[in-house]
Amino acid sequence: MASIVLRNVDKIYAGGVKAVNSINLEIKDGEFMVLVGPSGCGKSTALRMIAGLEDISGGEIIIGDRVVNHLPPKDRDIAMVFQNYALYPHMTVEENLAFGLKLRKMPKAEISKRVNEAAKMLGLEQYLKRKPAALSGGQRQRVAMGRAIVREPQAFLMDEPLSNLDAKLRVSMRASLNTLHERLGVTTVYVTHDQVEAMTLGDRVCVLRDGLLQQVDTPQNLFDNPVNLFVAGFMGSPSMNFVNAELVRGDGGASVAFAGFNLPVPQETFTEKPGLDQYIGKKLILGIRPSDFDDAVIANGHAGGWARLPVRAEVTEELGSEINVLFLIDAPPVQHQDTVAAADAGDDEEAALPLVGDKSLWTARVNSRSHVRPGQNIELVVDTHNLHFFDPTSGLAVGHPANARV
Amino acid sequence: MAEAAIPRSRALAREERRRRLGPFGVLTHLALLVWTVLVVVPIAWTFLASVKSEDEIFGDAWSLPAALRLDNWARAWDQAHIGQYMINSVVVVAFGVFGTMLFGSMAAYVLARYRFVGNRAIYLLFVSGLAFPVYLALTPLFFVVQNMGTLPVVGPFIGLNTHAGLVLVYIAYSLPFTVFFLAAFFRTLPGAVAEAAFVDGASHTRVFFQIMLPMARPGIVSVTIFNVLGQWNQYQLPLVLLNSDRSKWVLTQGIADISTAAGYDADWSALFAALSMAILPMLVVYTIFQSQIQKGLTAGALK
Repeated sequence: MASIVLRNVDKIYAGGVKAVNSINLEIKDGEFMVLVGPSGCGKSTALRMIAGLEDISGGEIIIGDRVVNHLPPKDRDIAMVFQNYALYPHMTVEENLAFGLKLRKMPKAEISKRVNEAAKMLGLEQYLKRKPAALSGGQRQRVAMGRAIVREPQAFLMDEPLSNLDAKLRVSMRASLNTLHERLGVTTVYVTHDQVEAMTLGDRVCVLRDGLLQQVDTPQNLFDNPVNLFVAGFMGSPSMNFVNAELVRGDGGASVAFAGFNLPVPQETFTEKPGLDQYIGKKLILGIRPSDFDDAVIANGHAGGWARLPVRAEVTEELGSEINVLFLIDAPPVQHQDTVAAADAGDDEEAALPLVGDKSLWTARVNSRSHVRPGQNIELVVDTHNLHFFDPTSGLAVGHPANARV
Repeated sequence: MAEAAIPRSRALAREERRRRLGPFGVLTHLALLVWTVLVVVPIAWTFLASVKSEDEIFGDAWSLPAALRLDNWARAWDQAHIGQYMINSVVVVAFGVFGTMLFGSMAAYVLARYRFVGNRAIYLLFVSGLAFPVYLALTPLFFVVQNMGTLPVVGPFIGLNTHAGLVLVYIAYSLPFTVFFLAAFFRTLPGAVAEAAFVDGASHTRVFFQIMLPMARPGIVSVTIFNVLGQWNQYQLPLVLLNSDRSKWVLTQGIADISTAAGYDADWSALFAALSMAILPMLVVYTIFQSQIQKGLTAGALK
C-alpha cells in the first residue's frame, strides 16, 4: 500500500488539447479517492496516467516514494479495473485471476491460494472453470475485481467499473466495493461520472471540470460547502436551485431578495461566510438545496425560524419516502457558465421542461406525508441556515475558505 | 403454456421470414443450386476419371467405369513421383504459411495498434503489394533469388532450387493480403484487454502472443486457410524458382509434367489420379475449418 501524489500533472494531446491541467492531488495511504466530473473532464485521463497507460505531458506522479513518470504499467505495482471488465476471453476465470501472478513468477501454491481466497471473497468459486463469455455482467465485474485483488498491489485504479451494470446490481456492487475497501484497506482511485457513486464510495471526492481540479473534500463537505457554482450544481441530486438575488439589510436584519420573495439571512451565516457582508446591497447568486425545503404543514413545530415560501407545485415526483416538488419561481434561470456546465453533466430531465415568461424551475424535496399533488398550492419552508451564496461573475462561493486565499 | 408459446412463435418467425424474402428466397436458392452444380460436377468428374481407363475417359463423360482402376493412383504416386512432390508441397506450404502468419500477424498488430511516425506509409506499402501481379516481377525475382544463392553461409539454402528460397518468396507474396486483412481484424478487438494485460505485468511480446493472438483466432484461421490454398495451388513461382532440380518439385509441377512430358501420348488416367490427390487435402482442410472461415470472413467484413 502506498500514497499517490500528483504534482502539477498536465496532459496535452496532439493538437494542443489540454485534457488535464496542472492537477495537484494527494491521495493518502489506504484512502478511497473518487474522481468525478462530467464526461470529457479529464478524470479517466488522469487515472490512466497514474496507471501508466498514458504519457505524462508535465509534472510528476509519485506512487509510494517513487516517481513513476517513466515506469511502464507493470513496474508501478498497481491493479486496474476497467469499465468493460477487459477480461481475457480465451482464459477461464481461474486463469484470468492467475495471469498477473504467473507473470510475476509466483510459486504455484501461492497462486492457487490467492486465487481461491479471492474467489471465496467474491463468491466466484463455482465459476472458476468457466470462460468469461459464460458469465453474467455482475459475475464478470467480480472477476475483474478479483484480478485486481489477487495481485495485492499498492493501489487499485478503477475506471467506472459499475457503469455497465443495471441499476439494482450497481447498488449492491457499490456496497460490496465499500466492504471490500474496508477489509483490504488498499489505496483506491475510482473514476465515475455518477455523483451518487462518488458520494457513497469516496473517503474524499475530487471534482474535475475541463481538466481543472475544482474541489477535493469529503462527500459531506462537498455537499455542504461547494467551492463554486459548478460543484454546487454537480453534486447532489436533484441539483441545487439557483437564482439571481440581492442581499439587503433592513430593520429586522439581513435578508436576500429574489423573485418577489425575501428570505432572512441569519447572523451566523455572516460569521460562517466571511466576506458576505461586502455583498450587502449587491447582486449575487443564491443557491438552495432541494433537501433544505420542506412542507410547512408537515414541518410545523420543528422548523422554528425557517422562512416560508408559498408556491404552486407544477410537477411532483413521488419517490416513496419523499416527494420532489417542481415549482416555478418568477425569475429568469441563472445563465452562468458554471451552472450550464453542471446542468449538462447531470441528468436533469426537468431542464427539458419548456419554461415560459422568464421563469425558472426549482425543486424542493419534501416529506412524503405532504401528499402534495400537481397543481396544488403548497407552503414550503426553507432552512435559511443552509443558504449558499456565489459571486455572480466568478461563480465562486462567497466566504468559502478555499476562495478566501485567492 | 410457455412450451406451447415457443414453437408457435418460431413458426411465426419462419412464416415472417418467408414472407419477407418472397420470390427472392426462391431465386437465391436457385442461384445457389446452379453454383453448387458448377462446383461439384468438375470435382466429381475428376474423381470419376481418376478410376477410369483411358478409353473410358474419352468415351461418355457420365458413364461409370467398368472396373475401379486404382492402378491409376498407384502409377501416379510411384512413376510420376507424385508422392515425392506431395511431401515437397506439404513442407513448402507448411513453412510458407507458418512464416506468413507469424510475420503477417506481427506486422498487422503493430500497424493496427501502435502509433508511430511512418505507420501509415508502411501499411500502404504492404497493401500496395495487393495490386502487384506475380508475373510482373518474375524475371527480376529470378535474379534476386539467384543472387540470394551467392550469399555467404546461408546462400546454398535460400538460392534457386531450394525449398527455403521458395518459402521466402511465398511469404513475401502472401504478406500484403495477410497484413491487410489482419490489421483490419486487430483494429476491431477491444484495446482495454491489452491494457489490462499491461497492467497485469505482461510485456508487449507477451500481450501479443498470449492475449491478442488468441483473441484474433477467427481472423487468423481464415487467413491461414486462404494462404494454404493459395500457396498449395501456386504454379508459376516454383516453375521459375525450382526449375532444374526435379527432386525438389512441388505437386503442381508434377501434375503439369504428366500432361506435357509424353507429348500427345499423356497418361490421362494418371493425370486425373494426381489431380484428385492434389484436391483431396484442400477439400479436407476446407471442410474442417469451414465454420471458422465463415466466422472470420464475416467478422472482418462487418467492420
